[in-house]
Amino acid sequence: MGKLKPQPTVTEETAAEISAIFSSDRPWVVVVWDDPINLMTYVTYVFMTVFGFSKEKATELMLQVHNEGKSIVAKGAREEMERYVQRLHEYGLWATLAREDQI
Amino acid sequence: MTPTEGFLRHGSDAYIANFAETEREVLVNLVQQIIEILAERHDHASQDPLAAMVGITTHDSPPDDEVLLRLLPNAYQDGVDAAEFRRYTESTLREKKRAHAMSVRMLLLSATDGDVVLDFDNAQAWLGGLNDVRLALGVRLKVEQNSPEDLELLAPDDPMRAVYAVYTWLGWLQETLVEALMDEASS
Repeated sequence: MGKLKPQPTVTEETAAEISAIFSSDRPWVVVVWDDPINLMTYVTYVFMTVFGFSKEKATELMLQVHNEGKSIVAKGAREEMERYVQRLHEYGLWATLAREDQI
Repeated sequence: MTPTEGFLRHGSDAYIANFAETEREVLVNLVQQIIEILAERHDHASQDPLAAMVGITTHDSPPDDEVLLRLLPNAYQDGVDAAEFRRYTESTLREKKRAHAMSVRMLLLSATDGDVVLDFDNAQAWLGGLNDVRLALGVRLKVEQNSPEDLELLAPDDPMRAVYAVYTWLGWLQETLVEALMDEASS
């Protein structure tokens, strides 16, 4: 019996998936975690100051951190997200960054 | 002197609070401890002066001390990424936090009749500085494990009771400053 020659069908989707694995344009996200020390109003204010969010949007995200344990507050290129995390750490918030698909 | 009533906004760029002498002493002492604990983490500059010059630290592992770890947290959950990030950024973060604490200390020490007057930039430094003190006290009080009810019920002779009183006072003080700043942010 002859060996079956594998014939992978490379669609556009597969190609995109493969290039995504090797490229760095898969978005990164900033995650803020709940902690019992930081005051709710303070976290809201920090979101407004660091990200320029409206009070409504900042409050919404703060409540998500408080109620669900964490919230994704920003998404984009890695370097930009690292700068945000650094600024949040300056204010004493508990923030980390990760690839979007690893959250 | 009467206890402080917290920060109030005056005009477009001034946030003013009056502190009683004992309040000033407590707060100066606390920020001094933050300055010292951050200094303990200082790099051995002689190891690589060039790296120090461009802000690369010799540290890539997280601090062992719980308080320091809360002040200088990991930026990634993954250990390797966290170490890499820390190597390039920790000294900057440490310097920022030191500057915040120094601002609180300096303005308290130079306050005439207990009046502390902050402009917007000082107010940001104070928010960070007060928060770092709260983080440090919160870690020592184990706020993660103990509920506010547990902490309210500490025995009168428990030294942590006084720490908790200062912790809640600082939270209130910080809140008055946030509210004064929010006034402006929403207008």
